[in-house]
Amino acid sequence: MDRNSTGLVFVLPALIVLAMLIAYPVAYTGLLSVTDRQGEFVGLANFRAVLSARATPQAFWNTIWFVGGSIVFQVILGTATAILLNQSFFGRGIVRSITLIPWVVPGIVAATTWAWMFHTEFGIINYMMTGTGMIPEPIGWLTNGNTVMPVLIAINVWKLFPFVAIMVLAGLQSIPKDLYEAARVDGANFWQEVRFIMIPQVRSVIVAVTLLLVIWGLNSITIIYAITRGGPANRTLITPIQIFRLAFESTQFNQAAALSVIFFAVALVIVIIYIRALASTPGEAK
Amino acid sequence: MSDSTTLKRTGLPLPVTIIGAVVVVLICLFPFMWMFVSSIKTLPELYTVPPIWWPETPTLGNYYKVLFESNIPRYFLNSVIISVGSTFLALILAIFASYGFARFDFRGKPLLQSFVLIGQLLPTAAIIVPLFITLRVLGLVNTYWGLILVYMIITLPLSVWMLTSYFKAIPVELEEAAIIDGSSRLGILFRITLPLSTPGIVAVVVYAFVTTWNEFVFALCFATDSSVKTLPIGLAEFSTEFNTDWGAVMAASVVMTLPIALLFFSMQRLFVGGLTAGATKG
Repeated sequence: MDRNSTGLVFVLPALIVLAMLIAYPVAYTGLLSVTDRQGEFVGLANFRAVLSARATPQAFWNTIWFVGGSIVFQVILGTATAILLNQSFFGRGIVRSITLIPWVVPGIVAATTWAWMFHTEFGIINYMMTGTGMIPEPIGWLTNGNTVMPVLIAINVWKLFPFVAIMVLAGLQSIPKDLYEAARVDGANFWQEVRFIMIPQVRSVIVAVTLLLVIWGLNSITIIYAITRGGPANRTLITPIQIFRLAFESTQFNQAAALSVIFFAVALVIVIIYIRALASTPGEAK
Repeated sequence: MSDSTTLKRTGLPLPVTIIGAVVVVLICLFPFMWMFVSSIKTLPELYTVPPIWWPETPTLGNYYKVLFESNIPRYFLNSVIISVGSTFLALILAIFASYGFARFDFRGKPLLQSFVLIGQLLPTAAIIVPLFITLRVLGLVNTYWGLILVYMIITLPLSVWMLTSYFKAIPVELEEAAIIDGSSRLGILFRITLPLSTPGIVAVVVYAFVTTWNEFVFALCFATDSSVKTLPIGLAEFSTEFNTDWGAVMAASVVMTLPIALLFFSMQRLFVGGLTAGATKG
């Protein structure tokens, strides 16, 4: 609506800050990944070193497992909760507020509280499960290599399903009333309404939220780092934590940069494939 | 609901809804109840099998330890300074940028808009290392400014996104009238547009404050000195500092959660409105 330059002037300060904090570091990561400590060009040596490390493929699969497992349950539980909270019942407003709490509290608080609840000897969860006979004897949830990842996924799901719920709920609330009325005239029951009205109508919200969850999942260091730091025996080591360890515990900045480049490339490919796959499917029109 | 008179209600049966709601509330709240109960237990009561549901002699000893015998108060202050600082900075930058995006057309606008959002897409782990080196060169490691700036990466993109959709919803005619009356662009922004988008501003402030208050990874990497460490780091090191004194850890968790819970619940309606408006329109 206006001259060309004025808008740019408004936008520029934010862009400069972001360029300084994002564009420059990204470019610098690329440079670091092909040089050594003294800044000499070393080609792909850092990449080779990182890729031949035994922890790398393990961390890669752990990341896929952690992010994928979390998202499936976050979306299913979040959507189910949204449908539930869209029903009318007494006290609905309060329940909606309470549902948001896990999402709002600091990740580190969630991590420590759940770690205490999953404590092998004094944890409330072992007590409740042995008390009700669900398990014969206390389980070392966070020290046993077979249980630790599912437990961390469960904590991560608990932390983020409220976000899915609130977004899907907003989508459900914007569904025009006449769609339901038409369905009711046709004699649809509740489950048919869920399947043929609610899910299709909130599909675009779920798609957008899932993309955010993928990105947050790839960033989620806090819960795992605070509870297990990647252990026991690298069973919960995910790539972001591996990068962190390489850089700040073994101070291998260049190898950490090489791993960052690989990680970034894989993440980008996943995001692009995801967007492409969904852009080409029908039912997106709004 | 008045429309239920015409057609019969088809929702879930009420008992199922109630049971579902109770289960959701329990799942969401139980950890916090347990956190609070643990924080007022004495040591012997914490370490008993089976666990005690409610302490016989509730104690404030854990809180005393956290508030007077640890670094937590200092970290609390650091967290407040850093969160307020970065929220304020993000808000100022986001107001101008969003206004530019919402009201002007200029070359490369779509490209620049997607560049802003890329910040949200970037895996933070991938830029920790270069950010650390950048901050070291600028002498900003272990300073308030270092973290305040770095948090722009997290808060700015979504703030711009949310505010842009708010500004767009305000009728241009209001501003055009003011232009005819001879107002400057800045005058319009501050006297007309901003007052009309208070809910959006509040949403951005709450979002930015909560995110920076909770942030862990950047703080872990860029604030290693206790003069700038934030609460999340304090909580994480509490377990080693006191050899995991779970009572104190839980008391520190309560101290850390309270401000965020208060802020969130006082602003919840506006915040959720702003967040979901951006999402469903986008």
